[in-house]
Amino acid sequence: MKNSYKIIALFLGLLVSGCDDALTIFPEDSLSTPTFFKTESDFVQAVNGAYVPLRTINNQAKHYLTEMHSDNTYYARNTAFGATEQQEDLADHSVPSDGGITANRWVTETYVEYYKIIARTNQILATVDEANFAEDSKANIKGQALFLRAYSYFDLVQLFGSLPMHLVPVLSREDAALPLSTVEELYAQIILDSRQAVELLPVKSQQQAGRATSGAARTLLANVHIVREEWAAAETLLKEVVNSQEYRLMADYGDAFSGNSENKNNMESIFEVQYKEGAEGLQGNFLYNFLPRPISAQEVGALTSTSNPQPLNGEGNNIPTPDIIEAYEDGDLRKDHSIQYIGLSESFWNNGVYPIIKKYVEPHALHQNHGMNWPIYRYAEVLLFLAESLNEQGKNVEATTYLTQVRARAGLGAATGDLEMAIFNERRVELAFENKRWFDLVRTGRAIEVISQHGQRIVANPNAYYYPVGAAPRGNAFSNITEHYALPASESSLNPNF
Amino acid sequence: MKNNLLWILKKSIFVFFMFLVSVVRAQDTKVTGAVMDADSGEPIPLVNILVKGTSVGTVTDFDGKFNISVPDPNGTLVFSYIGFSTQEIPLNGKNSLSVKLKADDTSLEEVVVVGYGTQIKREVTGSVQTVEASDLADLPVSQVTQKLQGQVAGVQINQTTGKPGQGMSVRIRGQLSVSGGSEPLYVVDGFPISGDIGSLNPDEIEEITVLKDAASTSLYGSRAANGVILITTRQGKAGQTTISFNVSTSLQKVPQRGRIEMMDAVEFAQFKKEYYEDQGSPVPEIFQDPSQYIGKTNDWYDAMLQTAPMQNYSLAITSSKEKLRTSVVAGYFNQEGVVLNSDYKRYSLRANLDYGLSDKVRMGFNVAPSYVVDNVPKTDGTRGQGILFNALHTWPIMPIYNEDGSRTTFNRFPANTGNIFAFPNWLTSAEQIKNETRDINILANTFIEYQPIEGLTLKTSLNAEIYNRQFEYFSPTTATYQINQPIPTSNEAIWDNRLDFSWLNENIATYTKSVGEHDFALLGGFTYQRYRRDRSRVEATDFADDRLPNIQGAVNINRNGTYDQVQEWSLVSFLSRLTYSYKGRYLLTAAVRTDGSSRFGENNRWGTFPSLSAGWIASDETFFSDQQLFSLLKVRASFGVTGNNNIGNYTQYALIDDRVNAVFGNDFASGAAVKSLSNTNLGWETTRQFDVGLDVGFLNDRISFTYDFYTKNTTNLLYNVQVPQESGFTNFSDNIGEIRFWGHEFAINSVNTTGKVKWSTNANISFNRNIVESLAEGIDRVYGPGGMHITQVGKPFGQFYGFKSDGVYMNQEDLDNSPKVPGRSTVGSIKLIDTNGDGIITNGGDFDDRVITGNPFPDFTYGITNKVNYGNWDFSVFANGSQGNELFVRHLYSTANLDGVFNLLKDVKYRFRSEENPGKGFFGTTVGGGNVTGIERDWLNDRYVADASFFNIRNVTLGYTLHGKDSFFKSMRFYGSVQNVYIFTKYWGGPNPEISVQDDGEGDGGNLASGVDISGYPVPRIFTLGVNMNF
Repeated sequence: MKNSYKIIALFLGLLVSGCDDALTIFPEDSLSTPTFFKTESDFVQAVNGAYVPLRTINNQAKHYLTEMHSDNTYYARNTAFGATEQQEDLADHSVPSDGGITANRWVTETYVEYYKIIARTNQILATVDEANFAEDSKANIKGQALFLRAYSYFDLVQLFGSLPMHLVPVLSREDAALPLSTVEELYAQIILDSRQAVELLPVKSQQQAGRATSGAARTLLANVHIVREEWAAAETLLKEVVNSQEYRLMADYGDAFSGNSENKNNMESIFEVQYKEGAEGLQGNFLYNFLPRPISAQEVGALTSTSNPQPLNGEGNNIPTPDIIEAYEDGDLRKDHSIQYIGLSESFWNNGVYPIIKKYVEPHALHQNHGMNWPIYRYAEVLLFLAESLNEQGKNVEATTYLTQVRARAGLGAATGDLEMAIFNERRVELAFENKRWFDLVRTGRAIEVISQHGQRIVANPNAYYYPVGAAPRGNAFSNITEHYALPASESSLNPNF
Repeated sequence: MKNNLLWILKKSIFVFFMFLVSVVRAQDTKVTGAVMDADSGEPIPLVNILVKGTSVGTVTDFDGKFNISVPDPNGTLVFSYIGFSTQEIPLNGKNSLSVKLKADDTSLEEVVVVGYGTQIKREVTGSVQTVEASDLADLPVSQVTQKLQGQVAGVQINQTTGKPGQGMSVRIRGQLSVSGGSEPLYVVDGFPISGDIGSLNPDEIEEITVLKDAASTSLYGSRAANGVILITTRQGKAGQTTISFNVSTSLQKVPQRGRIEMMDAVEFAQFKKEYYEDQGSPVPEIFQDPSQYIGKTNDWYDAMLQTAPMQNYSLAITSSKEKLRTSVVAGYFNQEGVVLNSDYKRYSLRANLDYGLSDKVRMGFNVAPSYVVDNVPKTDGTRGQGILFNALHTWPIMPIYNEDGSRTTFNRFPANTGNIFAFPNWLTSAEQIKNETRDINILANTFIEYQPIEGLTLKTSLNAEIYNRQFEYFSPTTATYQINQPIPTSNEAIWDNRLDFSWLNENIATYTKSVGEHDFALLGGFTYQRYRRDRSRVEATDFADDRLPNIQGAVNINRNGTYDQVQEWSLVSFLSRLTYSYKGRYLLTAAVRTDGSSRFGENNRWGTFPSLSAGWIASDETFFSDQQLFSLLKVRASFGVTGNNNIGNYTQYALIDDRVNAVFGNDFASGAAVKSLSNTNLGWETTRQFDVGLDVGFLNDRISFTYDFYTKNTTNLLYNVQVPQESGFTNFSDNIGEIRFWGHEFAINSVNTTGKVKWSTNANISFNRNIVESLAEGIDRVYGPGGMHITQVGKPFGQFYGFKSDGVYMNQEDLDNSPKVPGRSTVGSIKLIDTNGDGIITNGGDFDDRVITGNPFPDFTYGITNKVNYGNWDFSVFANGSQGNELFVRHLYSTANLDGVFNLLKDVKYRFRSEENPGKGFFGTTVGGGNVTGIERDWLNDRYVADASFFNIRNVTLGYTLHGKDSFFKSMRFYGSVQNVYIFTKYWGGPNPEISVQDDGEGDGGNLASGVDISGYPVPRIFTLGVNMNF
């Protein structure tokens, strides 16, 4: 009898252990963390994935948050169209930000996408040391991850100030919300990461075109020092970039910018966001965001040369202001490479002839699908950074030589007047529509003053800023001019530390 | 002629059979007699007669007469016939009998199908309700769930869209969860199916049992929390061969009542004229003289509709010969839709076979293949997604047809007319774009049952379900669903194919034993089920030729829409149940099921689901025996635990998204990223339910009444808890929170009159409530997708959310003295309520003025059926209703878009135009553009919420039966019916007060966002003529 109990117990035991096998089903169609992050190929894929949010950020949100938030561009009001306040609030400095938080869609998108890069790079950095593959490849992957993390935090801290700082992968619900780190803490980490990236990354000529390089990491770190007014440190890094022989200015300013499929990552390019046209989902369509509306299919087709142009409605954004047009000196070759005029037959505004950004107008095959890269750092900016760093240290003669290199290509002679202002204005036109102006205004302490005047000009003469006759800026326009964005409300409701 | 031959054949078989019986039993006593209906006195043919305790039997002839040889002159004869109470008559040596069978209206004596077995209805201790398929036969609808609408107390069934073959939402006792799915478990002949119940031909069904309380469902364990619907298909009846053939043909038409009333061409032109005048800007030429459009309205919505036919044919043969019982049902159902180019066809067959190998061994085989083809344009959903919605919005001055009678292709006016949305011809979109779904569904099962000793039954079964769905979408260059998409456009195709295979092995032992007045039944078993779905989807564009949409002809494959998927799960279960009754009136049932599921996290793999129920039949007590009023008085109570495992198959794992691709230069670089957080503790949702019920029969069960009160708490709600996206993730799958449900259910069946005019009434009413007790730690609210709903602790689930409004600002003084939206509110714009009293109107953030504005759940739902028989005539009326539920009229944001970019609701005529002409205070001023009108449109408010209570006279049927005069032809019934006769409702948002549509038109929006009307496929009125033939 006892034996039979044993047999029954054994049988039940077998049954239950057999059950556990029957109940373990791993997904067949996708990988999961226990099996991933092992091989070199896994990590290459992971670091590739970390670049991806840059495409989203630079396709739309960042233009609105930076360039259209400055005095360089504005929106072209389409009175027949509503539901455009998300963009208008950014251009009009009227983002509702009660209690230090905002529900603005573009603010939230930028924040969320940068934190995606951070999470993806954290995952790489947390696991790559344990993986077993060639050290040089490992260094390259780590370097790219550190560069991307530093760049992400750098943009975030410039946009928002204090932020939660994640440096390891989040594994549980409890770890998801961190307290805010101070600006100082964030910068310390950004500097640490980008220094390491400088050491780990290869130079441009030895890196696959389009990936982060030691030159890009140096430029990033120099930019950080410039924001922090650590001029000497910036000078050293920038001179290393200049002396690396990896970069030169393109002879023609118009060639500094990526074509739809050619001239990408050219000699002047230090780092750019990579897009590709086609059905692979790698395309951009930012050019279309920069067109005033309503615009007919024919008018769109004349600009884009696509086989299937379609009319666009809604509201056009990032339209050059009269001020930026004014800012070009006479004879500046860059003006015609940067701005062109198009006529809209159905426009409600004056005669319908608007200026638009020309830098990114490139022919491509299909409507709303183009492959132009977006410039983040160009060699011309390295030269202007260097001029600024030298000038700030009193080395104005040496500074002038770098400034002159940039001006010479633009067909301009030596700058006149105050050198600091000359460099500042040079940056405005050389880097126009490259999302630099707003950060320059903030780091030089000019933002509030410049934007207040910009706002007064618009309110005084809305028609000059693309409002149709009879239409006026909204009542809350330029009512909330601040140097930093409020944090996203959707995050605030989930992170008690906000 | 053919009929005569069959008649002769049949008669000969009958005679032969009688002869055989008399030869074999020649030495026995002869008994003759007649059987008739106790009520009408009519003879009943084909009554089954059996000598009790033997296999000797016969049937009555067509005059109700019989002739049987019995081995024992003092034996007992058992008379049985479907629809009548079985009678046992002791012979006591008599040679002739006159038997009167009584119609079987004492339903409490019935045996009902319950989980893993059957039980005498009288002794059931859980909350169980049975519906006979024959009661639903006349309803001319394709799905069994449509037929069940309003029939069962506590079961709310809504037809959320009129798309043929789709759109039923079934909730038992208001059950819902945040994201775990709320549909009940469907069990067909013991097999919990995972495919679509809609492909089951309702004519195959014999009986439907709805298990409501946890004690009845707990044997289905981790899948039972949403309730269980048991479907029993037709089986051959002992001693009978029946052939029935049903044909019906219908016409469907969309009623005028309830259609969304849009402006005609004159009204629209007038609106546009006033729009420009009020702004003080010049009126575009085409609007200067609205009268030019008299008689020139293009009603795009109406043009999308058609009167559509529908047919149903079904043939059923059941037979029982010796030890073989068979049943075969073949069906063909063909419904054309009331929207252009929509249809639904179903071909189905079921063969059930049950074979007794010996006295102790029985085997069964059932197989039911079906093939369904349907084609429905994208009708539901928002702008650019649903063509009905698009059609509503198309300017009525845009022509459908050119002067030469051909269709227009693309309608666009110059931008200065405010025409920022250009429209293709929606009729062309409906007709030319293919959306075809082809389903093959095969349900098969086989079992063997062995009775080694008296009372013990061992049963092993193997069930399989194969479900193949092929979806094909092709949009040619000449058509589009998109607004502003000029024709020709690029062509596009989607192929989405899936194959589901599920199998289940069950091994069940039951043992019944009676000791004195104690009756025991024990059940124990082990089951194993496994499921796999393979799905592949290809999305391709730019085919060289519209006539050849083959993958090989595509220029581009859209990578984001192209993928392979495998979904698998397995479930291992142990189950046991004890049923005990003492003296047949003290009843007790205890059951427990243990489920191991591959879906649960590895630390939480096994779940146990116990239940206990008890009943007392008070009317069987001696102190009740003297009275005549109560024929039954039973009280019962139950408690049990059930689970909901609809949590996705791999939610416990942190998955890698391998489609996060990058590019460097022009080189494609495949990328990957972790896309979800893992939770190895993830488990099922748990529902604890308590139920008390009362069953009362009055006047010999002429009136029976059932009442149930239940209360249940669902905990460990599966929810993708939002996490701050600073983590790089959006959600974490977790078990959180608690919802409490409670409710009352009443059902009454009454035979009002008997005799010449038989009139019976069934009615039910149920009251369901819920409240959210808690959500995740630190989270007190969850917003629904689309921002229309809020789920908040202390409030019912998924409430409508937005601003309260109070008309418009009537004048400058009103504006000055009222809280407003800074920089936006003007005289004549919508006046929102400053609920937090801070002096300004704020949307979102810490100073939000939004509050709960409505409730999608009804106060109560009810159904009532009346049946009257008079001679050969039968008449029935069925109605159901819902009271107190509200809908969110989501389409208002564009059907009343004051910027005049779309056609508008007729009532927008009565908007605010000036202090002197303030309208009806509902729609505000058009002056000021989007900055002003956008508040009314985009800041969702209580004007969007509408009362959707309704009372629907769902079906009226009148039938006439001819009884056959010969042996072959038993009866023929002709009937005519009208479905959806009339809906009484105050609902103004559209024709269907049961609607619930998601923005993209795919599905009903889920529990977090239910009750949204974005306009959808209308539910037609159906006129039917039919014939039921019985042979």
